[in-house]
Amino acid sequence: MVKEVNIRAIVVQGLSVLLLCAIIELGAGFTLKEMERRFALIPGLAIMTLPLLDLRGDINGALASRLGTALHTGVIEPKLKLTAELKANLVATLILSLIASATIGGLSWLTGVVMGLTVNILRLIGVAVMAGFISGLILAGLTILVAVFAYLHGWDPDNITSPMMATIGDFLMVICIYLAVLAVG
Amino acid sequence: MPVYRVRRIVVESYPILFICALIGLFAGLTLEKSMVKIEGTLVLMMVPLLNGIGGNLGSILGARLSSALHLGIVEPRLRKERVLKVNVNASVLTSVLIFSFIAAIFFAIAYMWGAGFIGAAKHALTFIIAGMLLTPVIIASTVASAFISFKKGLDPDNIVIPLVTSIIDVSAAIWLLIIAVDLVGL
Repeated sequence: MVKEVNIRAIVVQGLSVLLLCAIIELGAGFTLKEMERRFALIPGLAIMTLPLLDLRGDINGALASRLGTALHTGVIEPKLKLTAELKANLVATLILSLIASATIGGLSWLTGVVMGLTVNILRLIGVAVMAGFISGLILAGLTILVAVFAYLHGWDPDNITSPMMATIGDFLMVICIYLAVLAVG
Repeated sequence: MPVYRVRRIVVESYPILFICALIGLFAGLTLEKSMVKIEGTLVLMMVPLLNGIGGNLGSILGARLSSALHLGIVEPRLRKERVLKVNVNASVLTSVLIFSFIAAIFFAIAYMWGAGFIGAAKHALTFIIAGMLLTPVIIASTVASAFISFKKGLDPDNIVIPLVTSIIDVSAAIWLLIIAVDLVGL
């Protein structure tokens, strides 16, 4: 039980997840470094990237958290079947991805204008929404898979899904932003 | 009666995401303003790592504290809480180990990238100082947001992770850039 808190166990478990995550984040860092020149070409893109990365982790972290609770309480069964409860979670996640990404695009545009940059609102919102929706779609599916898989293997989805999804989310989001930038031009 | 409703999830989540977007924008702004300064270094590559590791450290501590609060093992106060102390110590130790390890990796990457021995050492030093400055921010914001949300009757699970990761994004970007540019002289 949780009564037995010992530093060793927390550090060992934490370090294993963190090490795996750090290696994936290195990939994200490398992609971001590769994007450096694009930042100069599209003003406002550097402003937008951090909040978009953050958003990805937040939306999927929350989905992972809810799925963990739902699996523990039996509201969702550990099967890959699209029940009404699972569908509500999925649809809500996708709607949030769309409107929150668009919000970030708009806010970044506003920030850019206030800073006196020449920013193109359609480009920024286009990149934000495209990257947000595509990564949201892929990650929502992955989150469900990881949560169900973790639960079926007797692991607590709360401990596994959130950090894993936040990390994979960062990596995928950087790549999706890069692809969206290439698509929008 | 379904437990999860699309409308409710969206309505409850949007305000906190909006606040986090505003905090994240501030971090992005710092980054945009500093783009010129960090050209020709690997500092940009460090940003996702610092944010990611910081966020995970905060999330893990936050998740443990939330569970402990729900179970009644930890009371939302700072004094005479043994379990809180153990959790905080474990987080500090994990943080020191992981940031040192990644700093060593950055030394290797920067050296191979052609930064030279001193340049590589400066990259590693930058990362480790930023990580060490970030650690108290992570712990303070996690403990504070867990305790405050719990006291207000909100579920810490919904509040702590988004809020702490956003706070870390801002501080990580700022610490890293200030240090890289001014202190270490990268």
